[in-house]
Amino acid sequence: MSRQVDVIVAGGGSAGLAAALAAARQGADTLLIERQTKLGGMGTSALVHTFCGLFHPDVSQPWAWVNPGIAQEIGQQMLERTGQAGPELMGRVYVLRQHPTLYAQIADELCAALPHLTVLSGAEWIGLRQDGDWELEVITRGSVKKLRAPALVDTTGDATGARLCDPSWCTQAEPARLYRPAYISAFHGVTGVHDDAWRLTVGAMIVRAVRDEKLPAAAMGAGFRDSPFVGETFLTLDLEAGQGDWDPFDPVKRARVEQEGRAVTLALWRLLRAEHADFKDCAPPMLPTKAGIRETARYLGDYVITGDDLASSRRFEDEIALAAWPMEKRENARGPKFRYFDQPLPPGIPARCLKREAVPGLFFAGRCLSADHEALASLRVMGTCMATGEAAGKMAVDFALRR
Amino acid sequence: MSSISTQAVIDLIQKFHIVDTEEPLTPDSDLFSCGLDSLAMMQLMLHLERDFNVRISPAEMTRNHFASPEVLATWLSHPNRTPA
Repeated sequence: MSRQVDVIVAGGGSAGLAAALAAARQGADTLLIERQTKLGGMGTSALVHTFCGLFHPDVSQPWAWVNPGIAQEIGQQMLERTGQAGPELMGRVYVLRQHPTLYAQIADELCAALPHLTVLSGAEWIGLRQDGDWELEVITRGSVKKLRAPALVDTTGDATGARLCDPSWCTQAEPARLYRPAYISAFHGVTGVHDDAWRLTVGAMIVRAVRDEKLPAAAMGAGFRDSPFVGETFLTLDLEAGQGDWDPFDPVKRARVEQEGRAVTLALWRLLRAEHADFKDCAPPMLPTKAGIRETARYLGDYVITGDDLASSRRFEDEIALAAWPMEKRENARGPKFRYFDQPLPPGIPARCLKREAVPGLFFAGRCLSADHEALASLRVMGTCMATGEAAGKMAVDFALRR
Repeated sequence: MSSISTQAVIDLIQKFHIVDTEEPLTPDSDLFSCGLDSLAMMQLMLHLERDFNVRISPAEMTRNHFASPEVLATWLSHPNRTPA
């Protein structure tokens, strides 16, 4: 049993959502494959609650959308549904607080409006070959299906297409340098005003508890940030994930990371309920579907964009979107190291980072576009993923029509 | 309580790589513009407590107290502070 379409988009995170919308809006028969049951990826399943990379990096000026198109459209929808007037200035960047539930709703509505777009949920991509068209195999609850299209967009975040078909198309940082996963949960019923002073006090309480061995060391980097809705606060933990031992493709290690995230989150909940008045009546936190993965494998395209390209705000003739977020490097759980652009000007992202000349009909975007380890620390954020995803979706349609 | 010198605070910040800065730290270096974020503040708190035998309560963790090495040393040495 096989199904033929114009464009297949594999992976329904921020990049894949934008790619599928862009392709279907141009009239291409499009399939969007997602292994979870919500679209939005990290922004829904991992509870990442900020849209980064949506705004011009010059914070001396009023905020402005940096990429027109689907990124701005989703950002605007989120502003309206959360009742916010604009993004917030956090340090040296504008950030839009987003709500994972509302993101899932926006994604559903945008997809449902397009008759040419079919979303496949709970579908794991297990095979890829090329025989003129791309033929993908996906499995849902033991049932295997074949899907065929001339154009394929890989927005899995993991370069799954390359790893299934030809691993020489992709690359991966050594385990010790891989950006660490984040474990995010939602606390409800936390009272008080959660300003900078509050966060420092809670942080100091946590650090003291770690030192007194009342909390595991992994609680050290815990941080709280309020949702746009009163009474809800998100907790983010950066997990060491075994440092050099971390392998995002090893299910045993994945299980350990998820277990550690839950254990540390609940230990924090217990401690803060007992020791901090604002947490006294706080229910057990809502856990994410999965940890937030920042880096796995990515493609080697016709160009590999570098950290130096971004730092120097380099522009390209074939650019398809602009980067906006500083390189936020999280190689350990001791907090991020930022490399900002030298000037507050957005660098370009060339189309060559989304394709590979020798593999026609294959496009990639989001976290698995062609970038070096340092550039990835900027380009992996959701706002930028939407922009690169949209561009890859359009490139896929162009390819399918030319055929 | 013994007094804590500004230089001792600078040495401790450098020894444990609390901030990432290419320029040398001076008594009035702005620690936050040198990269002291909230997590680094927590690490610094632990090192200060251990090396200088002081106790810093969570409520005392304010940006004012950590503004510069000199401000930090003066505050930690203040006779009105609760001893460890």
